[in-house]
Amino acid sequence: MVNFGFSINIPRAIDLDRNNLRKSNEIIGEMPELQACIGCGSCTASCTAGNLTEFNFRKVHTLVRRGEYQGAYEEMNKCMLCGKCRLVCPRGINTRGIVMLIKRKLGDF
Amino acid sequence: MTFFAKFCIPFIIGAAILFIVIACKYISWLKNLPRQDLKLIAVNIFSFKSIKAVWEVICESLLHRRIFRVNRMLGYMHMSLAFGWFLLIAVGWIETVAYLGFKWVPLQGHVFFKYFAVLNSINEHKPLFDFVMDLLLLFVLSGVGLAWFKRVRSRALGMKRTTKHVAFDRMALSALWFIFPLRLLAESCTAAIYGGGSFLTGGIGILLSKTMSTYTLEMIYEPLWWLYSIALGTFFVAMPFSRYMHIFTEIPLIFLRNYRLRPEAKEKSYDNFEVEACSRCGICIDPCQLQSQLGINEVQSVYFLRDRRYNMLQQKIANNCLMCGRCEQICPVGINLNTLRLNSRTSMRNIPNEGRYNYLRGVDRSTGSGKVGYFAGCMTLLTPNTLSAMQKIFSTAREDVWWADKDGGVCCGRPLKLSGESDSAQKMIDYNTELFRKHNISTLVTSCPICLKVFREEYRLEGIEVLHHSEYILRLMKNGKLKVKYTVGSTYTYHDPCELGRGCGIYDEPRAVIEAVGELLEPKHNRKDAFCCGSSVANTAINDSQQLTIATKVAEELDQTGAAKIVTSCPLCKKAIKRGAKTQVVDLSEIIAENIK
Repeated sequence: MVNFGFSINIPRAIDLDRNNLRKSNEIIGEMPELQACIGCGSCTASCTAGNLTEFNFRKVHTLVRRGEYQGAYEEMNKCMLCGKCRLVCPRGINTRGIVMLIKRKLGDF
Repeated sequence: MTFFAKFCIPFIIGAAILFIVIACKYISWLKNLPRQDLKLIAVNIFSFKSIKAVWEVICESLLHRRIFRVNRMLGYMHMSLAFGWFLLIAVGWIETVAYLGFKWVPLQGHVFFKYFAVLNSINEHKPLFDFVMDLLLLFVLSGVGLAWFKRVRSRALGMKRTTKHVAFDRMALSALWFIFPLRLLAESCTAAIYGGGSFLTGGIGILLSKTMSTYTLEMIYEPLWWLYSIALGTFFVAMPFSRYMHIFTEIPLIFLRNYRLRPEAKEKSYDNFEVEACSRCGICIDPCQLQSQLGINEVQSVYFLRDRRYNMLQQKIANNCLMCGRCEQICPVGINLNTLRLNSRTSMRNIPNEGRYNYLRGVDRSTGSGKVGYFAGCMTLLTPNTLSAMQKIFSTAREDVWWADKDGGVCCGRPLKLSGESDSAQKMIDYNTELFRKHNISTLVTSCPICLKVFREEYRLEGIEVLHHSEYILRLMKNGKLKVKYTVGSTYTYHDPCELGRGCGIYDEPRAVIEAVGELLEPKHNRKDAFCCGSSVANTAINDSQQLTIATKVAEELDQTGAAKIVTSCPLCKKAIKRGAKTQVVDLSEIIAENIK
């Protein structure tokens, strides 16, 4: 294959009927403001950690909301909690709170 | 001579339980102190520090000087109860010695001396002692009266809001309120039947003997002493489990604090002294902006310490705090409220994870090669005006600068620490320290007070001078490397960032910088009393609209000064206040860059 310098995600389908949405519902129940996300990606664009490594907050929290928890805790652990994303979020979502909540729900504390 | 009567039993049991519980608590706390703390005690116990501690105990535990600074009436209330009661005990002791000479008298003999004097038919009266004891009783009763009044109208004593108490506290409080009126009645009744007493107990005694028959007086005589003893006993039993534990705990706390013991990033045994020294006076409630501006209750330091003490602390309480430090600087007991809250958060959330932040290894995007390092900080990277102003200042002053994180760097670690993940934060601290060392800088300048605080407190940067850009700019101006023009008629007001002011004690440098370019108009709350902008990284519980409400209220006060520009020296404060202000909000560096000659 010719390397054009970019890649695309492998196509796959998320089956919401098959995914266990219990944790996702708990997260949204505790911080309903997450549903106000328009997916603009400002959080990811400004991210300090995302600037240094592959970490995409928008992607992780979107997957978590859809019940795809695999690897989400480890991904969230890359976050430095610096809080830039909260300042740039056009919907005023408490992103730092979301990071901590997702880690609490999917991790071990 | 007998010094025992049946009514003394509640008092004796209460006093015994009090003594045993307190002894158990102190012994176990002291035993569990970490080794270096024990060492500090051993080194300092026979030094001048102990004498200083004794003086502080008199000033604070008895006279309550720091509460007088909050409000005089409130100070008087606390002093009359503490100092008055202490004097009643001390003078009562002298009184028994005066009557009986130096001989051993059991505890209840001192406490219920008026009763036993009659029982042992000591018929002589010493009017001086009667007078002094009555005066002291009146002193304490005036405090009790004020405490009752405070329940009805706390504002008269300078408190908008008072603490909501738990059941145990209410029980102890009620007992305390009844102790002195019951003592007054019991002693007055004794005076009514057997004579004696001075203007207070004697006076009421005469009144009683005139209105009641001797038979009635003799009927209520014993029950009154019983009630007095029960009130004392109840209070003593409740004391070590209620807020009144502070009465004794503040004393060892003052000694230990003078021996340089401090709470740390992780919970330790010393914290018990601080937690139980909280009297739940509630002075911390009024300065809390979460209360006054958002109406959030139950999260303030008094409730946090209460929950922590009774092991019922929840994350949502521990996390809901701006850590602005307004309560800490007013706390009359001088408890390190922020540190305690932080180590609670650490206990709840810290999970050491070896593999975390491995991606930091080898990252170095710094540029330049100067001896002066500039660490913008995450937030400054979001306020490019500050960054370009600093760039202009550096080039005007011909300073050779090493830019640590202009093209992306690693967070200083403080936000992570503030959320309780201190072991992970250490990885960032180690990374940044190594980076600074590698580039061999001698001065480190930062525009972000959040970074500044962690650089100064947690980083081991011996040989590297850490400066906030306000200090650095002032130094450049003093050295003549930076010349600015003063514009007559230009007005500025200044917002003290929490982390810079209360956090690092930097108040004067930014003001001196502003006064070099124009007139400074102070807002109503400034310096130690300055408001928090509301966007503090320490709080992960409040939402956006709540942050905006705080910012608007703070900006309102700054707008009212009538200044043409609001100046601050924290990128986060700048962003927050901007949302609520009508006036232009700028960083300190911007007004300097604008006015370079």
